[in-house]
Amino acid sequence: MLSFLYARQSGLDDPVRLRRAESTRRVLSLKLNHNRDVDRIHGNGINTLDIEVIDGRYMLSGGSDGVIVIYDLENNSKKPQYTCKAICTVGRSSRHVHKFSVETVQWYPHDTGMFVSSSFDKTMKVWDTETLKPAEEFQFDGNVYCHHMSPVARRHSLVAVGTKDPKVQLCDLKSGSRIHILQGHRGEILSVRWSPRYDHILATASTDSRVRIWDVRRASGSLFTLDQHNGDKSKVSSEAVNTAHNGRVNGLCFTADGLHLLSTGTDDRMRLWNSGTGENTLVNYGKVVNESRKGLKFTVSRGCSPEFVFVPCGSSVAVYGLHSGELITMLRGHYNNVDCCEFHPDYQELYSGGKDCNILAWVPVLRQPGIEDDETNSKRGGTQAAINPAFEDAWSSDED
Amino acid sequence: MNRKRALIADTFCLTKRRRCAADSVTGDSQADGAADIRSSLKYLVTLFSRKLFNDSLPPVVLKHQLYSLHNDKTAVDKQVNELRENGELLMFQLGFDSEAFALVFAEDYRAKVLQGEAGRGTLGTVEKFLAKLIPSCSDLSFNKEKMLKEFLFTDSEITQLVKSGVLTVRDAGSWWLSIPNSGKFIKYFIKGRKAVLGMVKKSKYGEILKTELEGRRTTSQVKFQMKYHIHDIIGAELVECIQTTSGTLLRHVDGNVN
Repeated sequence: MLSFLYARQSGLDDPVRLRRAESTRRVLSLKLNHNRDVDRIHGNGINTLDIEVIDGRYMLSGGSDGVIVIYDLENNSKKPQYTCKAICTVGRSSRHVHKFSVETVQWYPHDTGMFVSSSFDKTMKVWDTETLKPAEEFQFDGNVYCHHMSPVARRHSLVAVGTKDPKVQLCDLKSGSRIHILQGHRGEILSVRWSPRYDHILATASTDSRVRIWDVRRASGSLFTLDQHNGDKSKVSSEAVNTAHNGRVNGLCFTADGLHLLSTGTDDRMRLWNSGTGENTLVNYGKVVNESRKGLKFTVSRGCSPEFVFVPCGSSVAVYGLHSGELITMLRGHYNNVDCCEFHPDYQELYSGGKDCNILAWVPVLRQPGIEDDETNSKRGGTQAAINPAFEDAWSSDED
Repeated sequence: MNRKRALIADTFCLTKRRRCAADSVTGDSQADGAADIRSSLKYLVTLFSRKLFNDSLPPVVLKHQLYSLHNDKTAVDKQVNELRENGELLMFQLGFDSEAFALVFAEDYRAKVLQGEAGRGTLGTVEKFLAKLIPSCSDLSFNKEKMLKEFLFTDSEITQLVKSGVLTVRDAGSWWLSIPNSGKFIKYFIKGRKAVLGMVKKSKYGEILKTELEGRRTTSQVKFQMKYHIHDIIGAELVECIQTTSGTLLRHVDGNVN
């Protein structure tokens, strides 16, 4: 570690390298910390979590009881023991609360003045954070499973909504219109995701086992469908040709650079796709247990090398290496099924929520100070591990 | 003090790598990998009981049995595909599970098929088919145009191939590549797998040490060697594999009805 610091200081290494190495080390040491807690407000399972992009300070959560809570993740109390307080909630007593379970919440990508929530009561509401009243409400014909706003869009403010209807609807926040629909799927849409690289690319996953990539500027259908066998039609029975999974596809996640897309399905598999060509990279993650009937929310780390995927698997969160496919570790701590997880890129923390109504914060373990006698410490003094021989010199003093 | 071993990223393991790099041979790792898979396949082939089928079936290994021997599944997949492209290995879709693929060495397959066909009228057609198939083809199924145009077979010849068992009907106008007389194999395999999983499930706490399971007496349902089935259930992740101080523990996974 200290060799990294010296290398950065002297210019031998890129500054990014130290940051990436340290981020990776922190992610690998994620653990439940007894000093960090999140307020327990929900009375029923937690379906969705979202941390705002600007500061990484506020977190939204939506529960099966229709309640939406906003937490403050920052520790301003000068003590290590900290409970993330719930600043405000849209509780059951509010006039505008969702009638049934809230499936997806998302902060407005450009500031925290607004957030959007969608629920099984067939509505999607756009809330004003200050007053906690909905500024806009969109009604749909079927249960709304998911929605997503593009994190990079500057030219449009479309929200993609996936409902029981096989048509993907795009709602415009600026005008309130919902005339843009994307046709092509033959089953319920369980997950929609905008690409973090281009503001016009959208990926949708459906119960018909297909994942489609759309360019919303085009009038015609989808750009392409993801095929798990990469066009090799000989491997499957004829009905399963051109499918992304052998079951319902219920989770989508783009990597931070938008070049790859991950999808999970009820065939207990997770697949990594090249998002530009739609090719299956054939990374084998093994069996990723997935029994969710609705969408599964999982996440990818940011700023590490190699990147990690955090997938809720039953009552624990599985951590896989993104490109190697190996299972790094399982984060156990929940008492019941985990439904969602969210990665905080600045502090390399993971927040996960599940049916046991708890939001757990997985915090990187700090380096322990070496437990040695004081004598040996002072003798060793300045010798640090793994010092680059180029920096050793015979005249500098260690006792500064 | 926390004595649990922490996960360390590769970048921080500099000292370890420096020591190991001196001894290990870094070049030619790709060839080493393929040779590794070949030797694992040969080992699994020895576990296959030939006598059971009166020597009419070539030794069949399932692709996911390799996952129980090697850690990196993606590398295993890649090397298996390499061997298939070289024409050394043939892969078949067995039909009872869309993810279960059978692997047979090409020479074994050819030998057994021709042995089974000896004396029958369909021998000529089958030989022609094998000659076309083995050097280059890595498909699991064939459709009508391919058979007629690329391979230049006539309809009656295709019927002969289906009769001999080399092709199985997939749907109208397309066929799976298959192993003749493999029906018995699949039947015994599925029964045996169920029986072994039942043994794990019925153990106290639903878990059993791998060495203990290998030593158990097999019921009449289990026709293959125990080790063959154990590699299968570990590789297909039908049981959870946990490393303990007394060896590997196999724990029954809930929600698996197989």
